Amino acid sequence: MKSIIFFLAIALLAGCKGPSGDSGQKSGEASGGEVTVYTHRHYENDQKIFDRFEDSTGIKVNVVKAHADELIQRMIREGEHSPADVLTTVDAGRLVRARQEGLLQPIQSARLDSIIPSHLRNPKGYWFAFTKRARIIAYSKERVQPDALSTYEALTDERWDDRVLVRSSSHIYNQSLLASIIAHHDGDYARKWADGLVENFARQPRGHDSDQIKAIYADEGDVAIVNTYYLGKMLNSEDPQEVKAAKQVELFFPNQEGRGAHVNVSGAGVAKHAPNKENAKLFLEFLASKPIQENLSSSNYEHPVNPNAELPELLKSWGDFKEDTLQLSRLGELNKKAVMIFDKVGWK
Amino acid sequence: MTGKWGVGKLFRRFRRDFSSWSAWTLLLGMIIGIPVFTIAVSLFNGPGQMWGHVTQHLLDDYLINTIFLIIGCSLLTLLFGVSSAWFVSEYDFPGRRHLEWILILPLAIPAYITAYAYKGLFGYLGSIPILSRQAGIPFQGIDLMNLPGLVFVLSLALYPYVYVSTRVAFLRQAGRLKEVSLLMGLKPHQYFFRVALPLARPAIAAGLMLVLMEVLNDYGAAHYYGVNTFTTGIFRSWFSLEDPQTAIYLSAILVTIIFALLWAEKWQRRKKSYSLTAQFSTGNHRIRARGKTKAGIAGIVLIPVLFGFILPLGQLIYWGVITWTRVLDAQFFQMVLHSFGIALISALVTTLAALMLVYMPSWNRLQGIKPFARSATMGYAIPGAIIAIGILIPTLAADKFLIDFMNEYFSINTGLIINGTIAVLVYAYMVRFLTVAYNPVEAASLKIGKHLPESSRLLGSSRPGTLRKIELPLLKTGLVSAVALVFVDVLKELPMTLILKPYQVNTLAVKAYGYASDEMVAEAALPSLCIIVTCAIFIWYLNKLTGT
Repeated sequence: MKSIIFFLAIALLAGCKGPSGDSGQKSGEASGGEVTVYTHRHYENDQKIFDRFEDSTGIKVNVVKAHADELIQRMIREGEHSPADVLTTVDAGRLVRARQEGLLQPIQSARLDSIIPSHLRNPKGYWFAFTKRARIIAYSKERVQPDALSTYEALTDERWDDRVLVRSSSHIYNQSLLASIIAHHDGDYARKWADGLVENFARQPRGHDSDQIKAIYADEGDVAIVNTYYLGKMLNSEDPQEVKAAKQVELFFPNQEGRGAHVNVSGAGVAKHAPNKENAKLFLEFLASKPIQENLSSSNYEHPVNPNAELPELLKSWGDFKEDTLQLSRLGELNKKAVMIFDKVGWK
Repeated sequence: MTGKWGVGKLFRRFRRDFSSWSAWTLLLGMIIGIPVFTIAVSLFNGPGQMWGHVTQHLLDDYLINTIFLIIGCSLLTLLFGVSSAWFVSEYDFPGRRHLEWILILPLAIPAYITAYAYKGLFGYLGSIPILSRQAGIPFQGIDLMNLPGLVFVLSLALYPYVYVSTRVAFLRQAGRLKEVSLLMGLKPHQYFFRVALPLARPAIAAGLMLVLMEVLNDYGAAHYYGVNTFTTGIFRSWFSLEDPQTAIYLSAILVTIIFALLWAEKWQRRKKSYSLTAQFSTGNHRIRARGKTKAGIAGIVLIPVLFGFILPLGQLIYWGVITWTRVLDAQFFQMVLHSFGIALISALVTTLAALMLVYMPSWNRLQGIKPFARSATMGYAIPGAIIAIGILIPTLAADKFLIDFMNEYFSINTGLIINGTIAVLVYAYMVRFLTVAYNPVEAASLKIGKHLPESSRLLGSSRPGTLRKIELPLLKTGLVSAVALVFVDVLKELPMTLILKPYQVNTLAVKAYGYASDEMVAEAALPSLCIIVTCAIFIWYLNKLTGT
């Protein structure tokens, strides 16, 4: 037993150096240096992107993965001593909050400005979107005629009574969707809409987006509000049951006659006190480059922000769609209002 | 107690009773209390602006669901935990020796993973409905994603806390008591209800306290099943409503509930003494079960094992088999090593602190020192994420001071020294899991009683000497349980680890959570299985150790 403890202690000491311990590690290399990324993205493929960045630039990537809220709290507490160079989140709302908390700094990059459409980045360069996720309506191929679907707003119609599936309101994707409805209408309308949707719920919200698609397969409801890339993940899942469930549904991009389908993003900004600001900028430009954009959309089924990036087959099959070009920072500003409406109408 | 006289008397009493042991106890308690103190101080900033919104629309739901969870999980974990502990310590039946430790294994599965596994087992697309449909039975699955389902799943994941402490109590009950009871004409079941159960009450209550604290701390399972509890409410107010103050107020209510429960547990124990002198112990003679009884007992004991371990494990193995090629890489081994090492170090440190907190207060006569020591274990009642913030605030302040100091006097920019080290993480685990170690150690020390150590003291041995030579060997089972329980808890812990872990360290729980929260539940199986296998080996080893 003693020898086991000793062995472990040695292994730990060898393996777990603190952040200050490895700053000099790569200094011998040509371009060298490092970049510390605080990220909410925990996709397996992201590590490969970090590796590719290391290979092509010689800049070592330190990664801290956690929930964006925890990362923001951590950056607030660390203040000017924070080792973070880049903050990556899976929604626009949290980037806006980080910006409001003064955790980000503006970056001037002609490359980023030319690649990324203007509604998908902060006008002053505080943050940039790198992938898009459309929040759309998935419907049962068997039980729903696509021409019955039109807009998010129409989901409160009586015909959808007891048929709508959606996850809990604690998730940012739903909060952003409601924020977009507040932005396009107003608070009162948004409350009525949320109220009407709760009336039409097939069941109390629970589970993830993919669980809503499974619930369609299980005949618990007929339409579900989900993000496109979850359907992509299910269709490519190792679990045959997930593939089966995903094949029972079809995607519908709502509001195509009007403002377009609601789109949220995964994005990143450079930290206010970034010790390696130049490396951070290089890293963001790397993320926007065509090969990485193609990698992101083929591995995670998100839509690329780089218009030159080739879409994978599955995304092509979903077809082009009109997206809501609402300035994303509005989503962040209206987030709290959206959450309060959810609480008032009892959307769990 | 007013005026000069009261204060003077108090002070004189303090001077008389204060010893170096009091100082050590107070110091240890204060070190442990830093995060809680930090949070408590921030209560004085007043409730946040969202407080009115929360009380108007959400608080009722939180209260009702939380009370339902407390009652439901208490009943179910007592049912599973006490019954299995009784049968394995009083009866002999085929497979008993293995079941003794297999019954602890559900603890190896993080509650939220059990919750995911149950969705995978009993949902419409779950393994069991599909298998039965293939077999021609039209079983549509069970909808577990609701409040009763959450009670069921949490109880299956947590009943071992009751089982472990109750079994220790039953095994240590004097054999002669049983002989006398049976000679007096009590039937075995009467002996159970009239003698064994009341005597085991402190241990059962201690186990139940752990269960309830875990229940009230659970975030992952409740969130996934769509049940609003205080803990999900804390996250909602903090992160969705952007109001940390309201979150801190909600945690204050949660802590009040926990304290009420702790007080109730103390009250039911009152001043009764449950210690039995060793001379009456003649070892335990198990009843050899036969025929129908044998099958019945084996069946009852197998229920929690089947539902709490074998079924979820089967689902995880299935997921693991279909995803392992995607998940397994060179980093995996390193991750296992990190997780295991951190957990072991934290478990040893925490158990040592618990031992000190159990014994040092009894070595001095200072008034109120025992409740003080007990209150140092309250970290378990507070959600991990909040403790992490409670640790970040003071340690970052200390770091800032050190950075400024080094800059000014030595012109060296040191960066953050304290934060992002293993030490902070281990400290956080100690604060959070002290109760887990404290309860079995305390229960074991109550079992030893006062006579042996008193004799040792009369013969001239010092207090630490007595502890080392007399009590420590007798405490072995309690200490080993403490280490095992903290180890398993640390290996599973998530929110604190996410916030406080060093950059290079990746733990299995963090990895599993990453997959699960990204809706790749099947991929979460392999790291989960590693947690389970590691814990299983550990528990098996400890069981062997205590058995001899």
